Amino acid sequence: MSALGGAAAGGEGINPTGTVVGIVILLVSIAATYALGFSIIPLIGIIIGGALIGFGVHFVPVGGAPAAMGQAPGIATGVAMLAAGAGLAGLFGGAWAYEATGDFAVAIAGGAVGGGLMMAITCMMVNATYVFAMGIPAASGKVDKDPITGDTFPAYKSQGTEGHGLPFISFFGGVIGGLIAGLGGTLIYIELLEIYHVGLPAIMQADAAAIEPLAISMAGILAIGFFLVNAVLAAYNITGTIEGPHDPKFKRVPRAVIGCAVASAFCGFISMLIVLNTGM
Amino acid sequence: MEASEGGMPHNTLMIYGIVVAVVGTYLTYLNVVTGIAVFSFFGGIAAIAALWWGSDTIKHLCSYGLGTGVPSAGMVAFGSGAIAMIAGTKFGLASPIVTLILAAILGAVIGYIANSIINMNIPVMVTSLMEMAVVGAMTMLGFAAMCTGTFMFSGLVVGGMTLSMEPSAGAAGGAQTFLVTVLPEFAGSLIGGAALAVIFFLGAMALQHPFNACLGPNESQDRTLMLAIEVGFLSMFVVAVMSYAFLDLVSATVGVAISLIGWFYSYKQYIALSKRDAYDWLDAKPIREVGGDQ
Repeated sequence: MSALGGAAAGGEGINPTGTVVGIVILLVSIAATYALGFSIIPLIGIIIGGALIGFGVHFVPVGGAPAAMGQAPGIATGVAMLAAGAGLAGLFGGAWAYEATGDFAVAIAGGAVGGGLMMAITCMMVNATYVFAMGIPAASGKVDKDPITGDTFPAYKSQGTEGHGLPFISFFGGVIGGLIAGLGGTLIYIELLEIYHVGLPAIMQADAAAIEPLAISMAGILAIGFFLVNAVLAAYNITGTIEGPHDPKFKRVPRAVIGCAVASAFCGFISMLIVLNTGM
Repeated sequence: MEASEGGMPHNTLMIYGIVVAVVGTYLTYLNVVTGIAVFSFFGGIAAIAALWWGSDTIKHLCSYGLGTGVPSAGMVAFGSGAIAMIAGTKFGLASPIVTLILAAILGAVIGYIANSIINMNIPVMVTSLMEMAVVGAMTMLGFAAMCTGTFMFSGLVVGGMTLSMEPSAGAAGGAQTFLVTVLPEFAGSLIGGAALAVIFFLGAMALQHPFNACLGPNESQDRTLMLAIEVGFLSMFVVAVMSYAFLDLVSATVGVAISLIGWFYSYKQYIALSKRDAYDWLDAKPIREVGGDQ
């Protein structure tokens, strides 16, 4: 919030020192996981899932408060809320598909479709509200021509605004973002479920079938936690609003991918401590 | 940069928050010592202390231009806090302390990532996200302790016991005998039943709301913090209602009564502080109808 003063931070470019330290944290997390005797394959899956979430969030057209007043293009809410909505919709879809089929590929695809569908419905209803309720046409402020449809914007853009509504490229970006973020979230959930499926019966000396609900709930809650951490890191990278893949801010995406991968690696390591036999 | 002038210094507030949160969580251990669960409500008090401190941390973090809105800070607090809290409860009697340390480490790493890899370059980022993760973890641990009466992993994952009877091998005399074993029931527990997810969002809403509602040029610390207490008691009330599923009737009712009294008192205080800070206080009246033809 800049309401209290203070300049908006977040310059362009990659910070070399920070990135190197981050990669060291990532490698140490993997090494520590290996040293404690866990398989590192689930952790690699969690890292990839986190990086996908960080990547996918950048596609989602986020307008924030200016969009609610029709002064900026995008969906009128914050990045974290939108990403959480799309990701959790994907997560539920993927979790249900995994429960029903037990097939990895179907579950991942289910998660991606769930997230993409949620974003498609959101974008469509947002545009319906913009066009029929607020009476504003879709016009991007960052580009003059839609890269996909070739529609021109300047003639429709109101003076004093950064554009308004939800042009096709933003709609497209939203659906792609939902697909990728939903896929990443589901991947994290499935990898966590694999860890707890094997680990929890061993440390609690209980029947695997009896402990199934516990493994599912714990993987679900932790997957939500992972998703929110990654989504907020991506949101911090965006700093406010983004129109979609055509926005100049999209060039910042490598930072978010590295950051989310490191955060997921460390969080993944902590979440494995749950199935570590501490003797208590 | 101070978001609002005057009031309690942030470090003093943080120390009070940590001490009350840890001591309050430990006081729920009186349940085990005395054998009755009426001390569970101390977990809720611990959570409110953490939320009270967290609201002030959010204020410091969000007075820099994050550009993502106040709620995102609450979300990252509880996202990282949930991971630290579930891992921390594994450590028996040391759980509250271990949760605090794990959350601080996790928050410091996420803060470093946000500050140096994402390039936010905000001076208070690392300490703030560290505090936020601790607030998230301690709030969830406090509410979980209030809901189930314990802060230990075994209590949070085992909902109850069922008896399993299997016919055993024919005993002497041909009488039918059964082998009775006690099986723990996991699906009816706080974590196994995913009731922890409700606590997750109850806490996240209570953390992100106070500063989001009070921010602006006329923001004052005591009013924001009173709102944090008020929303905390409101979340505590819902947790107290949830605790009917895990605790006995008397203990859960004690929780409901304390949270309702606390909420009523803090709400009255908050309204009084709002009236103090407002330029004028006008009661809304219905729109007047203009009579006759015009």
